[in-house]
Amino acid sequence: MSGDGGWLNDYMNALPEKGWFKFLSRTLVVPYWIWREGKAPLPGGPRPSPNPSDNAQRMMNLLMPLKDGSPVGRAEAVMALAQNVDEIFAGLDNVGTVHSARFLLIEDYICMLSVYDGDFNNYIRDFISTIGTVFDDLMLLVEGGDELRPCEKNIEKFIDWVAAHDLFQAPDYPIDLFGLQNEANGQPPGTLHEVRSLPRALILQLHANRNISLGGGYRGYPGHTAAQIRSKLGEGW
Amino acid sequence: MADQKLVDDILDALYFPGTSRARRPVHTVGIGVTGWFEPSPVARNYCEAEHFTSKEPVKVTMRFSNGLGYPETHDGWSDVRGMAVRFHPEHGKATDLISMTLPVFFSPDAETFLAFAKAARPVPCKRESAWQKLKDYLALRLPMPDPHPGQSERPDEPATAFADAHGWAQPAVLDTSQIGAPVSYVRAAYHAVHAFIVHGDDKVERWVRFSWQPVAGVMNTNMLNTDPPLAPARLEYLQDDMRRRLKDGTERFTLVMAIGEVGDDFDDPTRQWPLHRRRIIMGELTLTSVPEDQQTFGERLSFNPWLLPEKGMRASADKVLAIRRQAYETSSKGRGAIPCPFSGAASETGARP
Repeated sequence: MSGDGGWLNDYMNALPEKGWFKFLSRTLVVPYWIWREGKAPLPGGPRPSPNPSDNAQRMMNLLMPLKDGSPVGRAEAVMALAQNVDEIFAGLDNVGTVHSARFLLIEDYICMLSVYDGDFNNYIRDFISTIGTVFDDLMLLVEGGDELRPCEKNIEKFIDWVAAHDLFQAPDYPIDLFGLQNEANGQPPGTLHEVRSLPRALILQLHANRNISLGGGYRGYPGHTAAQIRSKLGEGW
Repeated sequence: MADQKLVDDILDALYFPGTSRARRPVHTVGIGVTGWFEPSPVARNYCEAEHFTSKEPVKVTMRFSNGLGYPETHDGWSDVRGMAVRFHPEHGKATDLISMTLPVFFSPDAETFLAFAKAARPVPCKRESAWQKLKDYLALRLPMPDPHPGQSERPDEPATAFADAHGWAQPAVLDTSQIGAPVSYVRAAYHAVHAFIVHGDDKVERWVRFSWQPVAGVMNTNMLNTDPPLAPARLEYLQDDMRRRLKDGTERFTLVMAIGEVGDDFDDPTRQWPLHRRRIIMGELTLTSVPEDQQTFGERLSFNPWLLPEKGMRASADKVLAIRRQAYETSSKGRGAIPCPFSGAASETGARP
């Protein structure tokens, strides 16, 4: 509230919160801009970098859409994992570069969120070669999963599938979204955009990438690999 | 030595029309504070400067400030805040660390900064019309914020237009447009945006950037989102807040040092390093008192980012950092401050607590 701009100014400042304007935005304004300047989906996972600390504690946010989103279908997904806890833990131990990993059931998705060191392809390759049978069970329940089974025998195809379902990681610095969009939409590097158009760039990107990771996340000990930490802990790893 | 004409032109561009040359051109309003700094146990492994190796707490003089160059206080306005810290080690010479709440700078070198400073001079404020705001909303674009109560001019519009045409200015201009006002000087994080090169006993040189993290945490206020709006008296609250906090207690900041890696922009302050660089806790700063004599302990002090330790730290090749040495010195002379350490007029490096 500005206090001295009059009722019309106050009304305009509050306009984005008005129900009728939200409806107008959703049904007309945003679709118009999608038609006019829609963005290409941005690829998932961490972006390539030669820097050591960018290659430590990388994040995978894998969203796997369930074929059956009913409570029964979702329970089947839970059971597929719950019955293989030993296999999952042993497999992750054997990969050696994983800081943490967990599974979540969110709406109609079974999600695997993990933090790992090094190259994405190598991580998935190591991972699937050690716990592929768990994913065989899971892929039965996931859309597009049938043709990946047995995962151990379809490693390259499985890697591509995981990469396609790994969430786009929004840049830590919002202005960098322009650069990523330039690249994905075939515009020359350095193509300039109005600073104040950043909300539009974000909205259109969220149309192309419905789910995203908000930045690269916080790290309590950035730049250190799982191997370095284990070595310091003196716990025999 | 930088081109003196370039330095003079930059200062001319920074001083707002009608403001006194007896004050600082930017960060004009501020408060001097004293306290002490205690290096962390690991700090000496990375930098052998005395304030990072001292076994005893190191006395410090500080000045917190509002970024804009107005002589009047407008604490509630959205603005960058500054935190200049002078360490007074027991045996070595004093050294400064100058930081601000903005994590990036507006330009990569002195010439581009002059262009920015000339372009982004305040212009009369114009509230966007209702029609223009509607057009912005329909374009999914941020409207320009309404002026603050009592604000008749601001740099927002020309700075934004400049950034639209110069990509390197965009991170700083975007961050500035969203920066808001802290509820307290001790509830903000401050960043020394330039890289410095440090080494410890191992003589390995590391390119680093420093930040002060408030132990109390970061918290902003925003006058325009307050209903009813904050009273005009709230335009001055940061200095009272500091005095109140330090009257019966202390406040603290943690000094964090990020280590750059090959491929990072060591010499370009418009580029932030990725958030995932290794961070070292270099020590803790404790604010203890607000001296009565604010002229000696604040207004007349001449901080300078080139007042570096005798060993363990040197400046990077950042061209903005390079020009700041002479710009600060010239500004100091112009306003008759306690002589700048580089002027040769004094051997002392400023007030000691």
